[in-house]
Amino acid sequence: MPTSSSISAIEAVSLEKTYNTRQGFWKRSTHTTEAVRGISFWVNQGELFGILGPNGAGKTTTVKMLSTLLIPTSGKIHIFGQDIIAHTNEIRKRIGFTFGGARGLYGRLTAEENLRYFAELYALPPKTTRKRIDELLELVNLLERKNDKVETFSSGMQQRLHIARALLHDPEIIFLDEPTVGIDPVGARELRAMVKNLKEHGKTILLTTHYMAEADELCDRIAIINKGKIVALDSPANLKNQMTDDHRVELIVSSEHLLLVKNALSQLGSKEKITYADHAFHTSIIIQTPRLGTVIELLSPLLNNGLIQNLDVRNQTMEDVYVTIIQNEEK
Amino acid sequence: MIKRILHYFRLYFYQAWFSYRSLFSWSTPFTYLTSKIGFPFFSMLFFVFMGKFVGFSDPMFIVVGNILMMPVTNGLYGLSMTIGNERQFGAMSYLLGSPAPRAPLFTGRAFFHILDGFITIVVALPIAMLLFKIDFSGINFMLLICCLALLAITTTGLGFIMGTISLLSRDGWMLTTTLGQLLYILIGVNIPIDKLPPTLQTISAYLPMTRGMQATRLALFGAGWENVAGLLLGELLVAVVYIIVGYTLFMYVERASMSTGSLDSI
Amino acid sequence: MINHFFRLGFVQMGVQLRMRVLNLWSLVLFFTQPAIFSTVGILLSRAAGNANPDLIYTVLGAGIMGMWSGLVFTSTYDIRADRATATLELIVGSPTPLRRVVGFRSLMNILAGSSSMIAASAVAVLLFNYSFVGINVLGAVISFLLLLIGLWCMGVFLANLFAWSRLSGTFVDLLEMPIALLCGFMFPISVLPLWMQKISAVFPIRWGLEGLRDSLQGGMIDSALTTKWLISLGISLVFYLLSRWFDNKVHDHIRVTGELNSI
Repeated sequence: MPTSSSISAIEAVSLEKTYNTRQGFWKRSTHTTEAVRGISFWVNQGELFGILGPNGAGKTTTVKMLSTLLIPTSGKIHIFGQDIIAHTNEIRKRIGFTFGGARGLYGRLTAEENLRYFAELYALPPKTTRKRIDELLELVNLLERKNDKVETFSSGMQQRLHIARALLHDPEIIFLDEPTVGIDPVGARELRAMVKNLKEHGKTILLTTHYMAEADELCDRIAIINKGKIVALDSPANLKNQMTDDHRVELIVSSEHLLLVKNALSQLGSKEKITYADHAFHTSIIIQTPRLGTVIELLSPLLNNGLIQNLDVRNQTMEDVYVTIIQNEEK
Repeated sequence: MIKRILHYFRLYFYQAWFSYRSLFSWSTPFTYLTSKIGFPFFSMLFFVFMGKFVGFSDPMFIVVGNILMMPVTNGLYGLSMTIGNERQFGAMSYLLGSPAPRAPLFTGRAFFHILDGFITIVVALPIAMLLFKIDFSGINFMLLICCLALLAITTTGLGFIMGTISLLSRDGWMLTTTLGQLLYILIGVNIPIDKLPPTLQTISAYLPMTRGMQATRLALFGAGWENVAGLLLGELLVAVVYIIVGYTLFMYVERASMSTGSLDSI
Repeated sequence: MINHFFRLGFVQMGVQLRMRVLNLWSLVLFFTQPAIFSTVGILLSRAAGNANPDLIYTVLGAGIMGMWSGLVFTSTYDIRADRATATLELIVGSPTPLRRVVGFRSLMNILAGSSSMIAASAVAVLLFNYSFVGINVLGAVISFLLLLIGLWCMGVFLANLFAWSRLSGTFVDLLEMPIALLCGFMFPISVLPLWMQKISAVFPIRWGLEGLRDSLQGGMIDSALTTKWLISLGISLVFYLLSRWFDNKVHDHIRVTGELNSI
């Protein structure tokens, strides 16, 4: 929790957001959707905070509330200590945001014209605007396409232009809602490097993403949201540790050798959790174990005799953690 | 054979119904009526008072003409707007990438708009009767229904041509809007055909709906089959020509749009 | 602050010109539709036995029609298009109030719509030998400016209305023709039933238009004309104040309902 002597960049307390929609043509009924059901968290200045969750969990709704685009049904939000409802306009000057996808730009205008347009909404002086536009287009690798119409850009390029747009007024907090969606791996890697760079320059960043590896790599802390509630919140390392110290051993075994392998694995005790997934010509076996050495010792002869096609050992990933948490929630 | 006919039937009605609902649904009866009746009705009143100002002695001509235009414009714009909206929502590629036969696939889309327009007439006629004290007691109902059905067929043909224009260009619906507005002058909606300048009368003779409008007017005021047979026959002939032209053009343009990549808006 | 205000205006109007005005749809609204209405008026007039139609109503009135249609459809289209392209939330999420963006866009729409009036005047002069000799020039200029102010105030008010909800656009059809009818774009108000004339009194366009017509018919600047000017200006101010009041409500409402974009 932030101490009394420090002000968080972002503080959300008991946030709720409910949508009421009316349905039916002759007989109208009201349908209520609780998108966010009481979430609380804070983000320190200079922190890179991640929000993960399945589709429809409430991530984008949360980000939109934090970026002043939605008014919460209940709860409080403070940005640098200022209430988001009472000081909306002041807060808007200090934050930038971008939502995933290729929408949100004027296709018939060039990249530069789009940025000039949005720069004016943030009252940037013309000199600053010109300089910032060139700097940012260089940062997002679009300087050569400065005078091309945005409708000729690929979705990845449009997404990069969005990042440039969000940074025009040099905001202190940046909300990135699924910034790497639709971007190729090379572009995504560059974008992640950019995000790290922004953090190193003291920016506070709130990131939502579906890509677990991205969250693991970038975030100082992660909140996992499911069905409008936060179900886990901690650093990636602590989240992984909380789950288990288990290693994962993944095997690929052909159908003809499956029985033999199963017999061998039956020697393992209750400490191991084994799951089988049958495919057309082979079976995938996942062994979750705290006793990696024991398991490897057991499997080595099978591997040497060619009964196992492939063996892979790895630690728990963020994806494992996420899937486990969500599945536990579903139960 | 029967399976194919059933498939055509499903495309024409069932699939087109989904298209209509997805692209043109109204949330309440109020918004439906204000949208359907609003513009045509006030447009009609506008022309009536314009006519009154210039001394045109037959306001009922304008009233009846504008009411009869409601299903016509619905059908015309419906098909071109459908195609425009399908493109905007990115569904056009999937439609044209399917093996579904084009005729029922697209003409069906006009059907619900025309039906929509006839519902509008059912609402608008009594209002007009009350407001303007028009006497429709002599309506020849059977003849009227035939005339309206024929108008619907003709509208489909012209709508196909307009839909083709929408397929050619994402701004094509603007041209269709202009063409649709020209009909207010040329097919006897606001001005009797015989009062038009000779050049416009000639153009009018080659347009669909000109004869159909005349026949429908006569039916509303009790004319018999013998009075309108010639008009109906002429209208049917013109309708067939426009449908053939529209369909051929559509098929040609469909192939061309695949080369130019104008299938989707983005 | 003042510099930013003018820069914002310049940028907004520039983008508006390129994005919304310079396209085929504007061609239809500003020129084609008025031409069609004008043709109907002229042909009706001839069908009634008048070889020489009253050009002030039939032709110049069509120019006003173009200005109004242009304003209604571009103002609604602006908001709808911004919703569809997800730029509305970017604009609302910026420190610049939406009303300022809308205000400049409406100004551009009005100025662009004036081309309709210019075209109508050119047609009246070139095709129908209309003469501007004998008109009250000062009266016409002031009336036209007040007409523009009235249109602008209504445009800003409407844009707020359309920002209110995704469904507001369905009411566009209810706006164009009723106003054209009630304000007597192509015929004198006296042609309408009395109850309609009373309703039309609440629209500033009606008064600006009457002042313009009086001046075009050579009327002097007298108390009748200045009264119409004052009424036009007063009602325009009311619309403007209403839109300022409404603007905050819209800003909060769309953030409660989450209708800043189409999906």
